[in-house]
Amino acid sequence: MNELLKLENVSFSYPGKEVLKDISLTLNTGEILCLMGPNGCGKTTLIDNIMALHRPQSGTILLSGRSVEQYKRHMLARKIAFVPQIHDITFPYTVKEIVMMGRTAYTGFFGEPAAQDEEICMEALRKVGVEHYADKPYSQLSGGEVKMVLLARALGQRAPLIIMDEPTAHLDFKNELIFLQTIVELCRKEDIAILMVTHAPAHAFYFESKGIKIRAAMMHDGVITAYGVPSDVVTSENIARVYGVKARIDVTTDEEGRAIKLVTLFETL
Amino acid sequence: MNACYKSVWLKRVVLILAPVIAICITLFVGRYSISVPEVFRAIFSDSGSFGTTSREVNTVLWQLRLPRAVAGAFVGAALAVSGAAFQGVFRNPLVNSGILGVSNGAGFGAALAIVYFGGGYYNYFFAFAFGIMAVSLSYFSGRIYGSTPTVTLVLGGVVVSSFFGALTSILKYIADPYTQLPAITFWFMGSLASINYNHFIAFVPMTIGILMIYLSRWKINVLSMGEKEALALGVDTKFYKLVIIGGATLATAAGVCISGVIGWIGLVIPHIGRMIVGNDNTKLIPVSMSLGACFLVLMDMLARNISSSEIPIGILTSLIGTPFFVYLLKKTKGGGWR
Repeated sequence: MNELLKLENVSFSYPGKEVLKDISLTLNTGEILCLMGPNGCGKTTLIDNIMALHRPQSGTILLSGRSVEQYKRHMLARKIAFVPQIHDITFPYTVKEIVMMGRTAYTGFFGEPAAQDEEICMEALRKVGVEHYADKPYSQLSGGEVKMVLLARALGQRAPLIIMDEPTAHLDFKNELIFLQTIVELCRKEDIAILMVTHAPAHAFYFESKGIKIRAAMMHDGVITAYGVPSDVVTSENIARVYGVKARIDVTTDEEGRAIKLVTLFETL
Repeated sequence: MNACYKSVWLKRVVLILAPVIAICITLFVGRYSISVPEVFRAIFSDSGSFGTTSREVNTVLWQLRLPRAVAGAFVGAALAVSGAAFQGVFRNPLVNSGILGVSNGAGFGAALAIVYFGGGYYNYFFAFAFGIMAVSLSYFSGRIYGSTPTVTLVLGGVVVSSFFGALTSILKYIADPYTQLPAITFWFMGSLASINYNHFIAFVPMTIGILMIYLSRWKINVLSMGEKEALALGVDTKFYKLVIIGGATLATAAGVCISGVIGWIGLVIPHIGRMIVGNDNTKLIPVSMSLGACFLVLMDMLARNISSSEIPIGILTSLIGTPFFVYLLKKTKGGGWR
């Protein structure tokens, strides 16, 4: 098994505040890791550490066997792509221009993307199904479409690891499903791994029902409290303990008769 | 593909030729009337060595109109490019080339020279030095936790700007109201009237600054995605921010020190560029350069022609530029802004 990302005993604190405590995780190519946990538990800080935006006080973060701190910025970008939770639209770039920015890591010191990069970008746009918007200002797209464009930008980066920070936040349930379906397609066809921060317990079950290799991790106060296959991690006990919410997990079947788990949330404890 | 290749070259040629044509046009226009054949004779007779043109004509063309026009092109290009770069890097379409305090800093420098050193060439050195100093102050006052977030940087710029504005007010207050005060006031309105070949030394920092921005033009796109995304896309944000801000500061300070404060260009020319070629800075930067150069050269031509005494150019740029901008805005529907 190709071990792409490996965190060993990572601890990180901001001045006067310990945020990550002794975190260990692994992620292999072809896998999805769903990272869950309440607001403020340190998920985003963990991502920032993996992307070498912060440096952990202790522990190591290995990417393809090398510490992320040893990578030059553009070399790291060839290994890790990022889909942000919130993207502020400042200038109305065209969709193609946005996706082309994903090719920055392959341009020279003072260079810009070239003609062959354009083909890679159009291919990425086709994969997520928004290629017909290529020349449209992305400020005029819907929230769901903008997310797809940002996903295409990450794909254009041709990185083996894509980190997504709550990618389906602010999307309606259809667009959320379109996004999840696209990720399933990508996992089946491409050699990539995905680290996805999510708040929806159902996401992990969704990927599991589609036969994608998936692990879930539940984080609480900077500690990974549960880590493994979704059935072991996303349980009513863990949801109660980590989120403080009373929940029940049921099993139903999808239209093809496959079992799919359902999470019902009742009340806060 | 071939046709596309050709059109790219055609566009490049147009971008470079446009300011040159604008400069040539201004040679023919002025209060000292020189006929068209005389201009050509002056141009093609090796600076009058054949004696075919009068000394007055030669002086007006080569010592007055040409250096002014060339300086106008450089200053216009510098201000427009710096404005475009700042707008991109600060992710704010409302900032201009003076946002980090370079104009007010330079203005204070000039005022200081006027009041205490009798003006002259001290003006330029002081304006340039204080312009750079003001931006450095903004940069360091915006620095927290070893990094310079955009918001605190722009905030630092605004604060430092007003600080130098206050210092300038003190100087205005104590300045001689009949000689020094008008000089300071006119400096803040901008003018290319006193330009001669000695000022061409300012082209060196301007060219270096413009080049720094031009080379980083793709990175401006990426930086406009915000700090975190730019880092994730593989850009060393600290380094490129410094190169771009440094370049814009160098270009603006050198421009402002020979022309005085000329507003409007650094804010609006980049937007006119966006309406024409879109937001991609690889196209926007060269287009802003060309537009800014043409615009200032033509405005300067008007400044020295429409009344018997010169009109400060800073007045004309916004007086004539604003209706033009509104016209473009209506015509292009702004180009994708929501």
